[in-house]
Amino acid sequence: MLEAALDGFLGILTLESFGWMTLGLLLGSAVGFLPGIGGPSTLAIMLPFVMTMKDPYAVIALLVGFDAVGNTASAFTSILISVPGGAGSQATILDGYPLAKQGQAARALSASFMASLLGGLIGPVVLLASLPFLRPLVLSFGSPEFFVMCLWGITMVGVLSGNAPIRGLLAGILGVLIATVGLDPKSGVPRFVFDQTYLWEGINLVLVALGMFAVPEMIDLASRKSTIAESQEFGEGFMEGIKDCFRHWWLLVRASAVGLWVGFLPGLGSSVADWFAYAHAVQTEKNPEKFGKGDIRGVIAPEAANNSKEAGDYIPTLAFGIPGGTSTALILVAFTAVGIQPGPDMLTSQLNLTFAVIWTLTISNIIAVALCMALARPLAKACFVPFYTLVPPILVFVFIGAFAANFSSYDLITLLFFSFLGFLLRRYGWPRPPLILGLVLGAKMELYLWLSVARFGMEWLLRPGVVALLVLVAASFAFPIWKERLEKKRALAA
Amino acid sequence: MSQDSLILEKRLFSLFIFLVLIGAVFVASQWTLRASIIVLLLGGVGIVLAIFQLVSEFKSTSESPPAPAGIAFETPQVKSDSRWGNLEIWSWILGFYVGILLVGFLIAVPLFVLVYSKIYGAGWPVSLGLSLFCWGFVYGIFDQLMHVPWPRAFLFSFF
Repeated sequence: MLEAALDGFLGILTLESFGWMTLGLLLGSAVGFLPGIGGPSTLAIMLPFVMTMKDPYAVIALLVGFDAVGNTASAFTSILISVPGGAGSQATILDGYPLAKQGQAARALSASFMASLLGGLIGPVVLLASLPFLRPLVLSFGSPEFFVMCLWGITMVGVLSGNAPIRGLLAGILGVLIATVGLDPKSGVPRFVFDQTYLWEGINLVLVALGMFAVPEMIDLASRKSTIAESQEFGEGFMEGIKDCFRHWWLLVRASAVGLWVGFLPGLGSSVADWFAYAHAVQTEKNPEKFGKGDIRGVIAPEAANNSKEAGDYIPTLAFGIPGGTSTALILVAFTAVGIQPGPDMLTSQLNLTFAVIWTLTISNIIAVALCMALARPLAKACFVPFYTLVPPILVFVFIGAFAANFSSYDLITLLFFSFLGFLLRRYGWPRPPLILGLVLGAKMELYLWLSVARFGMEWLLRPGVVALLVLVAASFAFPIWKERLEKKRALAA
Repeated sequence: MSQDSLILEKRLFSLFIFLVLIGAVFVASQWTLRASIIVLLLGGVGIVLAIFQLVSEFKSTSESPPAPAGIAFETPQVKSDSRWGNLEIWSWILGFYVGILLVGFLIAVPLFVLVYSKIYGAGWPVSLGLSLFCWGFVYGIFDQLMHVPWPRAFLFSFF
């Protein structure tokens, strides 16, 4: 294991990989800093370019570096202008913005950066500690267990994203069905191709991801044409914020644990980690009445959680090949394209690559926080970028990224089709992450299901691991629906 | 835009998804088991779920109690009153696509960026700078470095 750790470390620290990691963390910080551009949208734009890269270390450095730091810089806009730069910093507004209005923006920002750093360091340590336990578990799995694990992943993402369990599951199923488009690799049957040879090779995931995330976000940004309210002064107390993190170290550790757990469970994204951690802080800390009025603990808890969550995301992604969230689903696609096969191999023959992920998470967090702290004052002044300078370049990147998928004019039509579908899903409150996850896992699920049936007949359903996982699937599906009905009944009674 | 028309739109969309699933399962039933197994299994489950979804949407009215307040797990959906804003940006997107078809990427890209940013209030230096940056990106990386085979622009096919 030590040798793999060293290999991973040296792989990340080559000039090329380190350069890509720097680019990734700069991009991730910029995306986190700018409201209206999401991490998944940018990852979708990056995919066509990344998939042409050959070096797995470079791909890990770029994508994991990008993914690890988005939540750190997003605190700027949450605290200074009450607009979350990313989904993971929504709860930070509750106390960060009041602190800024009290002239303590510097204290809130430094506390958020330090909490992000410590949360971002606790995450990889736990990921590292979990490896010895994960290895025997993953190696004991056969195709039936992997099939039900995939099913569980889609069920979790479906029922937990968007407060609409049935719509979420349906979106996941649609994703799996979209994955079947094209010639069946084994039997050669053309599936859902409508006599179009363009569809024989299936639908490129890049086009779906761009259409589902990047274009609807741009439509939203362009439609709102919003102007941001007054920006707050930078204020004083920069060092005080750093000390605050050490004063409330136990809250920071607990919030990081909440973030890790949220990351580990497929379907619960950054937008949940910060709220869960905030709620946990309010429920367990002394003087809860101070929260929401400018309490520094309300900044520390969500910021620690949203960064530790990123490491938690990689546990199911690397060990089982089941992404913890939308960003890791897209990263998984890029990994597979360059020959990194998440699953048992990542804990055995490709352990060095797992360590490369751990090192990238750690190093990029340290660099991003150092950058944010060093550039806090000038960045605070440049918080607002008008929509008309963001929308056209990003649409250009989206179109060119889509065209680069296959260098075919049909790619642009496919992009427009999925953009419209993504727009409708968003408009009618259908969660989009399950569809992407279904598309990512579709081919694997089909293979696992067929292998299970071919090898074990219907008896695969009676394997103890399968039964246990099916109970988990059923519980994951039934519990939110039961809870939703209960809350509706209560609302009606009130 | 009224709440009733949004509810109608939502129902129609759910109905559309239901019909898509029915169609998928019907088509897949004519394939070999190897090719159809996942579609039949998950499509079948999907049809049952879509029926539940349709029933719950047709039962709900604009007077129904609001959805229970919970944590928003995704960015808020587009506001129902932003229909015109949506149409406006969709027109831009489709216009950009038509521009690519007519004059090709290398001309459509700077043109789109310049016109969009200028119309919505950017000054000349910003608009021109953005256009130049985008054109430089497309030309430098895709044309010069990657030698991308651009699709033939419709207007230039006559020359």
